[in-house]
Amino acid sequence: MIQVLISGLFLGGVYALLAVGLSLAFGIMGVLNLAHGSLAVLAAILYQKSLLLYPFSPWTFCVLATPIFLGFGFILHLIIVVPFRNLSLSAGIVTSLIASLGLALILEDLFVWWQGWEPISTNITFPTFNIVGLKIPGLRAILLGMAAVTIGLSTLFLKKTDPGRSMRALAQDKEAASLYGINPGLTSMGALGLATILAGVAGIFYSSLYPLGPREGLDLTLKALFIVVAGGMGNLRGPAVAGLVLGFIESFAGFLFTYTSTDTVVYSLLVGYLVLKRGGRRQ
Amino acid sequence: MKPWKMSFSIIILTALMLSSAVFSKGYVGIFVFSLIINGTMAVSYDIPGRSLGLISLGHAVFFGLGAYCFGISISNGLSFFPALILSVILSFMGALMITLLMAGLKHGYYSLATLGILIIFQRLFETLESITGGSAGLYIPETISKLHCNLLAAFLLLATAACHVLFSRSRWGLYSKETEASEEAAETIGIPTRTVKILCLMTAAIPACMAGMLHLARTSYVSPVSGFSLTLSITALLASRVVPVRGILGPLLGVLLITAAEEVIWTKFEGFNHAWFGLILLGAALYQGMDFRRRKTISATVENPLSR
Repeated sequence: MIQVLISGLFLGGVYALLAVGLSLAFGIMGVLNLAHGSLAVLAAILYQKSLLLYPFSPWTFCVLATPIFLGFGFILHLIIVVPFRNLSLSAGIVTSLIASLGLALILEDLFVWWQGWEPISTNITFPTFNIVGLKIPGLRAILLGMAAVTIGLSTLFLKKTDPGRSMRALAQDKEAASLYGINPGLTSMGALGLATILAGVAGIFYSSLYPLGPREGLDLTLKALFIVVAGGMGNLRGPAVAGLVLGFIESFAGFLFTYTSTDTVVYSLLVGYLVLKRGGRRQ
Repeated sequence: MKPWKMSFSIIILTALMLSSAVFSKGYVGIFVFSLIINGTMAVSYDIPGRSLGLISLGHAVFFGLGAYCFGISISNGLSFFPALILSVILSFMGALMITLLMAGLKHGYYSLATLGILIIFQRLFETLESITGGSAGLYIPETISKLHCNLLAAFLLLATAACHVLFSRSRWGLYSKETEASEEAAETIGIPTRTVKILCLMTAAIPACMAGMLHLARTSYVSPVSGFSLTLSITALLASRVVPVRGILGPLLGVLLITAAEEVIWTKFEGFNHAWFGLILLGAALYQGMDFRRRKTISATVENPLSR
């Protein structure tokens, strides 16, 4: 049972990382980005391909690939944010949702064409620690720590740096932020860049722990979106905690039921929570 | 609806009705049947889509529900019409439960929840292997001739189009427009917004359920992936949005365009069919963005005529 708990903690760490990026994009730009998980899959494929050239550790590759993910974030901004600027929040959500779904579908087909149907798996071997009779896989422990550090650094970036403060100002009041000289276009581009970096890191970590199918991007996004809704849109702490909770739930459901039943239980809980939280009050 | 729109809609519907009677076999028969089923899905999708402004990513959940109810009834020895009636009752109850859950949600949350429901049903029907055949799907014997199936589907499309027109012209249609504009304001003037939403969503759900039943009756096969299909939901969404014309003409023209495009994509661009759908979705989102902006400009001009 404790082993299941530990497994849930690791899975939750990755989900938290994924959800934090999504929450950032929604909080600052009002964008529900359905291509977020596909970007994680893209990062996983890039990592797998890079391993053929040199045996990078997941964290080294995360650091090296940061500029690439930032670039992807900028391109994403041009596709799902720029055309829908100046729309009301609800109209912006709907249009960005459709556009990002379109992008996710395009990416999924490209991944299958590039990678084939084989799941992405990096097969990194790492020693397992034995602490008080509990088997703790070293790689998972390190990746969990790295996920926590990444979320911590993102929070510090948002709270303590000028670009981070600009992002938070933009999230609170776009017009007032513009009056104070903040460039909304550049700032939201930076925010989506940061969100994409987080998606990339999540994808690399996930594929280091579990096999990831080329068409699993939308699945990951959906789970992350529900985590964001559960944890609260636009803040980082809530989704991080909700991500951990989902990791535990999924891990326990996987222990008790089959794969498809696990998904049914997890999605039922998520939809149920969404309906309870958002169904009965003004948004 | 303007007379020219009504005339065009009647021409398209008549052409589909006649085609369904003339072409019931072979490739053309399958294509005409696909047009009619996609048309029913798109027109039914358009009812809450236009009047409540809700974007559903899981409209196919009703299609799958109808197909499975029908398939299970047939597998248990019922003949076509009793199975159809029982399936309508069962899927009505199922659709009502889903609708009651979804009716409180708005905008992005609604889209998200509908996508979640679609995945839940897909996984659930994969799990219930003894009843649904699991991921291998459900096969049923032919219970009705292809010609009769085509004709029934054509009548279903006609009935769905009539529901669309009647709903948008009824007071409930006006209530739903008011609910879309501002739910708070609508409630203030005494509109029962929740009832309006449920009625509107159910008007869309039942034709989709029946489309699923007729599709299974013709093809004899349904699986969780083909029944609760995201592609089918997106096809309905695209067909309803891709042609910038309101009323039933928009989805009818949209379905001709999308189903034809679908045929070309499936045959000529094998392996990239989702990517092409994605490109069309991106285009639809751009159009939707422009439409929202245009409506915003119009309302600003109405509020302040001096700005013209």
